[in-house]
Amino acid sequence: MKATFFIRILRLLVILFLQILVLNQVHLLGYATPLIIGYMMVCFRRGTSRVALLIWGFITGFLFDTFSDTAGMASASCTLIAMIQAPLLNSLAPRDASEDFTPCFRAMGFWKYFLFVFIMMLVLHSAFYLLDAFTLANWQLTLMAIGIGTLLSTVLVIFIELLVRSRKM
Amino acid sequence: MRALIDLLIQGKHWFVFLLLEAVSLLFLFSYNGYQRSVYFTTANGVVGNVYSAISSVTSYMDLQTANRRLESENQRLYREVESMKKKMAEASLDTAAVCDELVGYNIVSAQIVKATVHKANNLITINKGEADGIRPEMGVVCSRGVVGVIYMTSRHYSIVIPLLNTNSKVSCRLRNSEYFGTLTWHRATPYSTYATGIPRHAKVKKRDIVETNGFSDIFPPGIPIGLVAGIGDSEDGLSYLLTVKLFTDFSTLREVSIITNYSQPERKELEEKADSLNVGE
Repeated sequence: MKATFFIRILRLLVILFLQILVLNQVHLLGYATPLIIGYMMVCFRRGTSRVALLIWGFITGFLFDTFSDTAGMASASCTLIAMIQAPLLNSLAPRDASEDFTPCFRAMGFWKYFLFVFIMMLVLHSAFYLLDAFTLANWQLTLMAIGIGTLLSTVLVIFIELLVRSRKM
Repeated sequence: MRALIDLLIQGKHWFVFLLLEAVSLLFLFSYNGYQRSVYFTTANGVVGNVYSAISSVTSYMDLQTANRRLESENQRLYREVESMKKKMAEASLDTAAVCDELVGYNIVSAQIVKATVHKANNLITINKGEADGIRPEMGVVCSRGVVGVIYMTSRHYSIVIPLLNTNSKVSCRLRNSEYFGTLTWHRATPYSTYATGIPRHAKVKKRDIVETNGFSDIFPPGIPIGLVAGIGDSEDGLSYLLTVKLFTDFSTLREVSIITNYSQPERKELEEKADSLNVGE
C-alpha cells in the first residue's frame, strides 16, 4: 500500500516535471500544448477508490495550474477525467481481466488500451481548451488545439508506455 | 432513511467530484481575468435581461403613481408660468420705450391708485413712498414718456404733479436741435400741452419730437414728451407757442416708474445758495 503510494507520488513528480519543463514550451500552431498530465489518471488500476481517484486528479491538475499560470483549468479537467476513469476502464476491460488490473497493453490489448488513452486525453483536452477559450467564437482554433493536443499526447503516452513496460518485461 | 444514507454513501464520489469541480471553477474565475470578465459579462447580460423584463412589468404598476406625480408637477409649473407671465407683464409695461434713456438710473415701479385728468390742477397718487426711496422732486416716467414730478410723499404713497397741472413746469427741447423751452399746461385737453420759450429763429416743423433737455434736476436728458402738433406765436411774439401732443396717455395710465437717483443734492444746494443771493433776478 505504502509502496504504491510512493510510486504514485514519484510518477506524479516525473510527469509534472516533464509536462512543465518540456511540454509547456511546445505550442503547436501557437496554441496547442499536449497535456501529458492525463497519463497520471491513466495509470490507476481498476478498483481504485473513486474518491481517491478524484483527489489525485484534483491534486495533479492543481499542481500543473500552479506552475503554468492556468488557475483552475487543469484542476477542473483532471477532476473530470478522474471521474470518468473508472466507468471507462470497466467498459473497456476484457472479459477475462482480473478485478484489479492496471491498464496496459498486456492486460487490455493494444487497441483497447489505445482507445482508453485516446478517450481520456480527448476529454482532458476538450475540457482544458474549452475552459481556456471560454467562448465558441474561435471554435476552429479551439477544435484544432483539442485535436492536435489529444493526438500528440496519446502518441506520447503510448510511446512512454512502450518504453517503460518493455524495459520491465 | 437508511436507504437514503446508503445512497449518499454510494454516491459520495459524486459529491467529491462536484466539490472539486466547484473549487476548480472558483480558482478559474478568481485568478483568470479573462474568464472572469467573460463570465461576468455573460452573467450581467443575463441578469440585465431579467431585470429589464421585471422592470417593464413593474413600471406598468407604477404608472398610476407616476401619473399623479406628473399631474401635480404640471399644476405647479402651470401656476409658476402664470405668475411669471403676470410679473413679466408688470415689468415690461413700464420701461419699454424709455429704457434706453434710463440705463444707469435706479428705477422704482409703482401703480397709480388715484388720478384725475380733467381738473385745472390734476394730481396722481401712486402706491410707493418714502419706504421705497421716493422723495419729492423726483421724476416720474412711463413707458411712453414723461409723466410728472413727485410733489409730496408719505411712507407708502406719493403725490405726483403730472404734466396736466397748471403748476407743472418741465424744461424741454426739440430733438435734433438744441433749442430749449418750458412745458406748461393751460387746462387744455388731457392729450396736449404747450411748449414756450423756444426762440423764433429755431427751425420747427410739425411732428418734431419734444424731449427733456436735462437742465433740470429732475429728468435725465432725452426722455420723450410728445410731438409738435401745432406751431403758434407766444403773446409777446418773441418765441413760439408750440402745441405738444403728449406721448403719455394720462387717461389710461396705470404703471409708472420713478427715477430715484438722478437728483444731485450738491447741485441743488449750490443753486439754492445762488437764489438766496438774488443775483439771478
